[in-house]
Amino acid sequence: MLAAAASAVPRLRLAAPPPPLRQAPGRIKWLLPRRRSLSSSVPNVTPAAGAGALEPPDLPRLANAARISLSPQEAEEFAPKIRQVVEWFGQLQAVDLESIEPSLRAGTAAGSSLREDKPETFAKRDAIVDAIPSYDDPYIKVPRVLNKE
Amino acid sequence: MPPPLQAHRLLISHRRLPTPARRRFTAVSSVQSPPAKTLAPGPAASSILSIRESLLSGERTAAEITAEYLSRLHRTEPSVRSFIHVAEAAAQREAEELDRRIASEGKDALGPLAGVLVGVKDNLCTANMPSTGGSRILEGYQPAYDATAVRLLREAGAIVVGKTNLDEFGMGSTTEGSAFQVTKNPWDDSRVPGGSSGGSASAVSARQCVVSLGSDTGGSVRQPASFCGVVGLKPTYGRVSRFGLMAYASSLDVVGCFGSSVFDTATILSVVSGHDKMDSTSSSQDVPDYASELVSLDSLESKPLNGLRIGIIQETLGEGVDIGVASSIKAAASHLEQLGSVVEEVSLPSFSLGLPAYYILASSEASSNLSRYDGIRYGRQISADDLNELYGESRANGLGHEVKMRILMGTYALSAGYYDAYYKRAQQVRTLVKESFKGALERFDILVSPAAPSAAYKIGEKINDPLAMYAGDIMTVNVNLAGLPALVVPCGFVEGGPAGLPIGLQMIGSPFSEGNLLRVGHIFEQTLQNFSFVPPLSSER
Repeated sequence: MLAAAASAVPRLRLAAPPPPLRQAPGRIKWLLPRRRSLSSSVPNVTPAAGAGALEPPDLPRLANAARISLSPQEAEEFAPKIRQVVEWFGQLQAVDLESIEPSLRAGTAAGSSLREDKPETFAKRDAIVDAIPSYDDPYIKVPRVLNKE
Repeated sequence: MPPPLQAHRLLISHRRLPTPARRRFTAVSSVQSPPAKTLAPGPAASSILSIRESLLSGERTAAEITAEYLSRLHRTEPSVRSFIHVAEAAAQREAEELDRRIASEGKDALGPLAGVLVGVKDNLCTANMPSTGGSRILEGYQPAYDATAVRLLREAGAIVVGKTNLDEFGMGSTTEGSAFQVTKNPWDDSRVPGGSSGGSASAVSARQCVVSLGSDTGGSVRQPASFCGVVGLKPTYGRVSRFGLMAYASSLDVVGCFGSSVFDTATILSVVSGHDKMDSTSSSQDVPDYASELVSLDSLESKPLNGLRIGIIQETLGEGVDIGVASSIKAAASHLEQLGSVVEEVSLPSFSLGLPAYYILASSEASSNLSRYDGIRYGRQISADDLNELYGESRANGLGHEVKMRILMGTYALSAGYYDAYYKRAQQVRTLVKESFKGALERFDILVSPAAPSAAYKIGEKINDPLAMYAGDIMTVNVNLAGLPALVVPCGFVEGGPAGLPIGLQMIGSPFSEGNLLRVGHIFEQTLQNFSFVPPLSSER
């Protein structure tokens, strides 16, 4: 009965055999893969050979794109953690997802929900303006915008 | 067909009264009341109904009830610290106003939640109270409007007593990620309440308020409900409007509820559910009166769950799950069998992939959603010479460690060249997870599992190890990927703390089947013998 149910679910085929696992000291036991284990996610696994070389995260570039100034010591602190998590994400490279449609959303809220294209006034505009840190009626003040050379 | 599950081990619990080794089902003796489809309030069945009764009979006033809760709140807050903000004066005023209306209009003054004190997670906007999202970047920010869920509670007569603590912007599983304070588990003040809705769970657990609102993106209502020994409901995606909920991951976020009983949780779910034109992802499906479908014990047959097909998710009871948690769940499954259901194991093969897929999707959506915290429109601004520096400094200063990490990871996953490798693949895994659940929910009415692999752990235990913390979400994230509803009901205890640590049973259903989950949860709760889920610190008056 369970076998029938299992065959109804699309089978996951690994694109390459799972890479050998390195046991990290102090890592809690159930991040190691076992049959029917909770998680096959091992933090130190290297991405499967066929996945193509994905560049590790370039933290300064990402911090710039995300507009978050990182101090050198924060960058030093974040880099290994982010690298570790991104490597963990890498296990998705090893799974054969050919012909699976990506799902944008859960799909539970059926149908489109468009309202009438009729403008309405929000009654509490003042409260919005009050929240602006640097306001000089009617302008929101910002410092100069420098063009990058 | 595999044999029914056996409870292999006795639950170890300090709170448990002596009982025979094999749990026997006996109906709780009924209250002398007219036979009715609706619930006659027993001691634990519904605080909302007992408040209503007191107000109607004149036995107590709203002001007295509010004073009682506030006094308990003040007594327990120095230890538990559930609230970032307590609106004491406003709550007292609203209670007095309600008493005046009851005096002049009588019964008609009572909305469905009249006099009920509610805690609201601080990532839900409240117009007359600060709303920080647990972050310094919004310190002092007061929104211009109420979140729809908050507005609906207020319209029903509820009194918002304060804003509860959370992991910053909902990112975390312990509430240690709050920029303001650490909330303690009411069962053991050296342990976390869970997260991200830790404050909402602990407030209900410590009886500082009657019910509370939280949000659940990857388990943030269900896991703290399990850790704190309260009922937690994650509705179907689209059941409750997200308008006014500070967005973390828009395709995963839902507003959820906590109560000390299934009946109370069902009551507030009915109030906050429904289509909202301000949230285009909200569903137009009818909202039933969930609580009216919860029958009283004396009208239950001896096998009230006759024929209900329940699937225990195999992957959630194997390696890596605390022995005590696994036993509690198996004992709960036995109890459900004794109530007439048929319980079998079911495998969901894509289960473990759901965890990295979830974190990719959530971080990616967060990196986009949190770009609004720029120091210009609201919140904390750090002055600078040019605009980019203002953004960089304001965000660096105002956003916490975990939030920055997730924004950076999300930025990476979405960047040119990596989208296909991460985000798109995560969406494909999402399809697999949805199909997996759909298949299982054709064979079974309800799926059950623990809400977390362990009971509440110690404060500080996981804070430096992101993967160890993420790993604990394995039981909950797949449900968000599929948008399904899930209810967590306290089902037992494990060793730990002065009085044991609670464990919750998670029940998952197909979309919009909250009514069925609540019905089963209610019967389970009302027939569960010999457990009291009131933490010791709250039982003194």
